[in-house]
Amino acid sequence: MKVKEICEKLGLDVHVQGDLDKEVHQGVVGDLLSFIMRTAPEGAVWVTIQNHVNVAAVAVLKDIPFIVLASEREPLQELIDSCRKENITLTSSKQDAFNLCGRLYELGIKD
Amino acid sequence: MSEPLVLELEVKPLDFLAAGETATQFKETLKSLGLPPEICRRAAIVVYEAEMNIVIHGGGGVMRLQVEEDKVTIMAEDEGPGIEDLELAMQEGYSSAPDFIREMGFGAGMGLPNIKRNANELYIDTAPGKGTKLRAVIYLNKGR
Repeated sequence: MKVKEICEKLGLDVHVQGDLDKEVHQGVVGDLLSFIMRTAPEGAVWVTIQNHVNVAAVAVLKDIPFIVLASEREPLQELIDSCRKENITLTSSKQDAFNLCGRLYELGIKD
Repeated sequence: MSEPLVLELEVKPLDFLAAGETATQFKETLKSLGLPPEICRRAAIVVYEAEMNIVIHGGGGVMRLQVEEDKVTIMAEDEGPGIEDLELAMQEGYSSAPDFIREMGFGAGMGLPNIKRNANELYIDTAPGKGTKLRAVIYLNKGR
């Protein structure tokens, strides 16, 4: 499913538009950066409550094109700037990580 | 490639905003050299974790990337407090990071284990009060 379709279906607030036509088939959830460094599949959508600039660094290093901040976490400006520079789609939602992952699963993001 | 390509960058202490920059830059360099994506990713993880260790624990330091025909070597050097019990530090889940750092998602106790998993060889020279020197080697023709 394309990044933009996921944004629409989940009603996400889009802070940075990266490659919205990018296809995403896998997801990862977590707030421990080293855990994400280890487990994130390439090209996955990442659901997290961490909203600082290191989220972008991890995303770049793991080739993650799409970040969703859960539980009304607003991105810090440095994170926005960094995602813009690296062409990463950065979004946020009022929903918590549990519900976001459930919705993603329903949309077919199952790995 | 006859002479090794060497890239050296300074890492500042507790500079979380810049943290990840060394790893991003090193990864770009490796990609531009045309190294396989898998090698770039593994090297990036090693550099990032070593960089974060210098930022959080090491009080700043230097990182060096060396690319040769058959291998990538990553070196991280700081003059921080050193690692008291290296065996313990290599254990997954063990961390000496302070709470405010853990709240940012660091200090999961997975840094050194992540480096070990992604490198073919890992050497750590450290002692309390003497700083830490880390050297990780990734061979281009070997898997993990």
